[in-house]
Amino acid sequence: MSKEKQGEDNGRPDLEKAVDNSRRDFLRKVTLAGAVTVTGGAAIYSGHRFEKAKHNEGMVRVLTEDNRLVEIPVEQMRDFKPDLKMLQTRGREGIAGRRWVMVIDLSRCRNARKCVEACQSAHQLRPYEYHINTLVMQESVNTPAFFMPKPCQHCDNPPCVSVCPVDATFKRQDGIVLIDNERYLVCRLCIAACPYSARIFHWQEPTQAEADKDKEYNVELNVPQKKGTVTKCLFSADRLREGMLPYCVSACPNGVFYFGDENEDAVTNGTTKETVRLSELLETSGAYRLMPELGTKPRVYYLPPRNRIFEFEEGEKKEYKEDKA
Amino acid sequence: MKYTVPVIMCLLLLPSLSKGQDWVVPEERKGRLSTFPFTEETRKEGERLYNINCLSCHGTPGKNNSIALVPPPGDPATEKIQRNSDGEIFHKVTVGRGQMPSFRSVMSAEEIWKTVSYIRSFNRDYVQRVMQIITSSAYPGAQISLSMAYLEAERQVIVRAMATDEEKSVPVTNAGVRLFASRYFGALAVDEEKLTDKNGVAAFVIPAGLPGDTAGNVSISARFTDEEVFGSVTRDTVIQAGLKNRAGSLVAQRAMWNSVRKAPLWVILSYGIGVLAVWGFILLVMLKLRDIYTVGSALRGNLRPASDQEPTNKQEAI
Repeated sequence: MSKEKQGEDNGRPDLEKAVDNSRRDFLRKVTLAGAVTVTGGAAIYSGHRFEKAKHNEGMVRVLTEDNRLVEIPVEQMRDFKPDLKMLQTRGREGIAGRRWVMVIDLSRCRNARKCVEACQSAHQLRPYEYHINTLVMQESVNTPAFFMPKPCQHCDNPPCVSVCPVDATFKRQDGIVLIDNERYLVCRLCIAACPYSARIFHWQEPTQAEADKDKEYNVELNVPQKKGTVTKCLFSADRLREGMLPYCVSACPNGVFYFGDENEDAVTNGTTKETVRLSELLETSGAYRLMPELGTKPRVYYLPPRNRIFEFEEGEKKEYKEDKA
Repeated sequence: MKYTVPVIMCLLLLPSLSKGQDWVVPEERKGRLSTFPFTEETRKEGERLYNINCLSCHGTPGKNNSIALVPPPGDPATEKIQRNSDGEIFHKVTVGRGQMPSFRSVMSAEEIWKTVSYIRSFNRDYVQRVMQIITSSAYPGAQISLSMAYLEAERQVIVRAMATDEEKSVPVTNAGVRLFASRYFGALAVDEEKLTDKNGVAAFVIPAGLPGDTAGNVSISARFTDEEVFGSVTRDTVIQAGLKNRAGSLVAQRAMWNSVRKAPLWVILSYGIGVLAVWGFILLVMLKLRDIYTVGSALRGNLRPASDQEPTNKQEAI
């Protein structure tokens, strides 16, 4: 009995203790939860207030693409990388109100090859792949030879664009003829149609295929290049967008190239950076265009090689060896 | 008498010998000096500019590796170039001659002086003389400013240069001023360089055919030719003096080379008619086939009783 009582006696405090413990536990938990809620709430509230305050003050001024100055909250700023769709759209539209034109002064070209090198490095071409060919011209045996750099003529009536069955090569409102590698079908009709032989075909994997794997294709630079596509001079459409002269024009050390906007009647020499009236330059120098009888209306003008200031000298021909590794 | 022929030949040869070598710099330009002293900093900046603008022809100074041209460009470290005065080098770089292009629009006066500073670093005997801008300037301590006005009737831009200090304002006289119209890749010189008259005024004529933007606006700026003396003061403004740009887009017209929507009407029409004709023919063939089928089934319907009887006859036969 006593044992039982003892047992009961002993048992009751145990139970009470347990109940007591659980109550204490519960109270502790409730207090803790309350404290957490209050602190959390306060934190969230202060955070909200801070955000609100930031929203009012943290504005930043941004120049939009159409040249408007706007104010946007700092927290809504995102890093912007032009995606393929945007590059394609703006690459096809071109720059409104412009009509690019190039003038090549043959009396100044001494085949320094700086234009070719600048072009090849910008467009990731091999040493034997050319957007500009420097041809040796000699009209007849008793007339002197001269060098003639020949880029794409960016015709206003481009036969290459007419024959393209898939709209992969196209003309823009500012006069530039471009190629969209994303639409290209490997028919190569454009190469055959071009009377100036301005286009080349990529038979090999591009030189920087590995490095450019994740790079977005820029139709205005034609980079990354792609095996099995056509490429040609682009008048450095990407540089024109930034207000800079094409790669070849600014690389020339002899003042051969002039480039500018026909609408502004002005062309700027790439070497001297001197800007002259296009109409005056063409008229006073007796300018001409290549194969006018074809009616292609090129946007490249040539100034005849008269009053040359140096002797014609054909440099040594270089042999290019492909790096197999 | 026997020396006549050699003497004449020598006399004939003399001008031809000196012809290629003499590059005469106008007397007033020879004594021109830099407005700042040449330091290690200007030398470094000059080296950068030299490598961009001069290296491709003149080579690395001291290495005698300039490219082979006639006349040779020459190594700037050699005595031939170093015996030029600062003003002469400055003038030759600015103006250019023959195959040497003019760097007037490529580098500012300050940048050309920095290049001279680099070239001079290869001459140990060189001692620089610096121009004191305050003493050489006719208007010491004064703030020089330009103002512009456009006279629409005369198509003239009047530029006025004034030097103002604390007490008074006086016109800047006999100063060369140039006027430029802003173009996409650079500044187009409008009219020639003009000297300011006794009132500090220079008048420029805007040529009639100068194109402006779509509204005919041209943004023009005026500046002094001698920026070392008068400071790099410029004055920009927009005037409505240009032709309105109405050229429009080059892909607006219908053409074979244009996009599908802008194809010539005859192409769209003949192609459309062609496609319709082919599909129409296919549709016609299918309709005819349907007709044959209906006629065929009608005929089969008429014949069916006869064919149906056959098996029954056979059954009966069995």
